[in-house]
Amino acid sequence: MNDAVVWLSTTWLSSHMRDLKWMWPTCETLHFIGLSLLIGGAGVFDLRLMGFMRRLPIAALKAFMPYAIAGFAINLTTGVAFFVMMPAQYAFSITWYAKLFFIIVAGLNAMLFETTLGSRVLTLGADEDTPMSFKIVGAVSLFSWFAVLYCGRMLPYLGTGN
Amino acid sequence: MAFFAWLQHTGLAMWIVQSDSIWAYPSILTAHTVGLALLVGAASIIDLRLLGVAPAIPVAQFDGLFRFVWAGFYVNLVSGLLLFASEAADKAAQPMFMLKLALIAGALVATIRLRREAFAAGGPPEPSPHARRYAVTSLALWAAAITAGRLMAYVK
Repeated sequence: MNDAVVWLSTTWLSSHMRDLKWMWPTCETLHFIGLSLLIGGAGVFDLRLMGFMRRLPIAALKAFMPYAIAGFAINLTTGVAFFVMMPAQYAFSITWYAKLFFIIVAGLNAMLFETTLGSRVLTLGADEDTPMSFKIVGAVSLFSWFAVLYCGRMLPYLGTGN
Repeated sequence: MAFFAWLQHTGLAMWIVQSDSIWAYPSILTAHTVGLALLVGAASIIDLRLLGVAPAIPVAQFDGLFRFVWAGFYVNLVSGLLLFASEAADKAAQPMFMLKLALIAGALVATIRLRREAFAAGGPPEPSPHARRYAVTSLALWAAAITAGRLMAYVK
């Protein structure tokens, strides 16, 4: 892994991205805007799945999903850019692997919901409580996204081996 | 400026900067990011609804989201004051920090006005052009406040 990290950090792309002084701050700013969109869109849906804010009809809330997905896409892109610029800061950090783990949990959880439970959403009206399966999916998603945020923000301070 | 120098040298401010504890600077910074996610996340959903997303849901039913906007705001007011105290003399003299505060003030005014305009009892079911302008202003100012906040680390 050491070799791969050294190789990546010495590639033309990595060194040229690092040389652009505005690249890192710009990616950081976009990463924070992306996380707001993602947590806003996913969070309101998760809370409704958990049975809170029942005045909001679940099926119609899906209209916000493209914005949450756009937030995720922004953060995936800028996240890859961070890794390309400073691979050693991530590849040797336990906190970064924890972050990836929670992204995968949130993703699999969302896929599970879409493929098995999602169609039942359409039968639920406004003001109706959600079944236990929905509550679990919503809680797992909400917890995972905040865990992703926590690991990301704590990355420079936690589990770096220093 | 003597006040900011004093503030920066209080026991609490010194602890935030100097402690190796994960509960000092790192956790306060993380709380500031959690607050940001709550505040701007909830505000964006409200703004997007006013701009025409999810038209099937009446605007009034999003009123419950304002509690997350305010919860996020207070988390960030407290964590922000702690972060400010730890570097008070520098931050008080930093133009980028003043810009960030001004942008937050503008975004708060837009948020309060749009709530009055679009969420008043007995108001129109669909947002007025006024309310939509506040929604655009709110989105733009929160994004600008995030940008200024990030740039505080780079533009001294």
